[in-house]
Amino acid sequence: MTFRNRLLQILLLLLRLGVGGIFVYAAWTKLRDPWTLFAISIDAYHVLPQWAVLVVARTLPWLELALGIVLVSGFWRRTSTLAASALLTFFFALMVRAYVRGETIDCGCFGPGEAISPLTLLRDGALLGGSVFMAVMAWRRPRQAGTLRREAQQISETVVTAPPRD
Amino acid sequence: MRLSVVFLLALASVAAAPTINKGKAFGNPNAPLQIELFSDFQCPSCRQLHMQILPSLMRDYVLPGKAYLVYKEFPLPMHSHAKEAAAYACAAARVGKYEKVADALFEAQPAWSVNGQVFQAVSTALTPAEQKKVQALAQDPAVLAEVQQDMQEGQLERVNQTPTMLIVRGGKKYPIGGTLAYDLLRRFLDDISK
Repeated sequence: MTFRNRLLQILLLLLRLGVGGIFVYAAWTKLRDPWTLFAISIDAYHVLPQWAVLVVARTLPWLELALGIVLVSGFWRRTSTLAASALLTFFFALMVRAYVRGETIDCGCFGPGEAISPLTLLRDGALLGGSVFMAVMAWRRPRQAGTLRREAQQISETVVTAPPRD
Repeated sequence: MRLSVVFLLALASVAAAPTINKGKAFGNPNAPLQIELFSDFQCPSCRQLHMQILPSLMRDYVLPGKAYLVYKEFPLPMHSHAKEAAAYACAAARVGKYEKVADALFEAQPAWSVNGQVFQAVSTALTPAEQKKVQALAQDPAVLAEVQQDMQEGQLERVNQTPTMLIVRGGKKYPIGGTLAYDLLRRFLDDISK
């Protein structure tokens, strides 16, 4: 494997840890408060009937937590990056729709009290970009089943054996 | 020495606590829930909240003594008449007519937000004697300072949209921005009241 490929591997690892960590953090900000508070944030988007709002409010934070842990662990990389991209695409589309319609509503991304703004769109857009990049790389490359330790070992070997640059 | 330090600290905490204008507060001050409502009289979402959600909230939580509702002014800079309306409302609170004037302002919001005749809307909720008093009070620096103080409190609480309800229960604050379905708000309030 070339040095450039190894650099890409480092980037992908950092990206995966970052996106996975953000998913875990997002889940924690929702789970620490009563679930009905998150239901209010979801309902503000006016896309789901109230019974569905209640179901999503109860389950989505746990899904985010599970996805975050799987992303960080490095298992099921193809499935997890694809699922994260699909979820982030859905969130981003909803946020853009609300912003374009001029609705001043809570983003609901990391708990209450954060209105949708160009900044939140930029942040979630960047997160989506990173996730899609990971998914594309995961599906382009041969299937990799790797734990964090194995990955870190591979990278450290590369850094040590990388050719010096003039 | 130690006693005087404790006294000074207690005094400082009292001074730093947000002031509550009793004319803009409703319900039992010792209720387990406190709801601070940061609102802008010229904002359509605030109008919707005031006309559709607040009557139910008053009926189910404020009047039975379960919640203490405190109105806070948060006129947004993009609304040219919002600050003037807030000043009239604060002035009306000093003659015990905040709620009536707030109702009148939100009711006539589509008209005065266009033609700028804020006092015309305010006057419908007041007697001629009260009108004179409120008109004079609205220019009073103390009333204008009260509006300013509410806005500063909102900024401290990171209010970034109107309406924002800051629900306080046992020292924990839950900000809820925008309009919402009353059924969900009720579920949430019942949830945190347990």
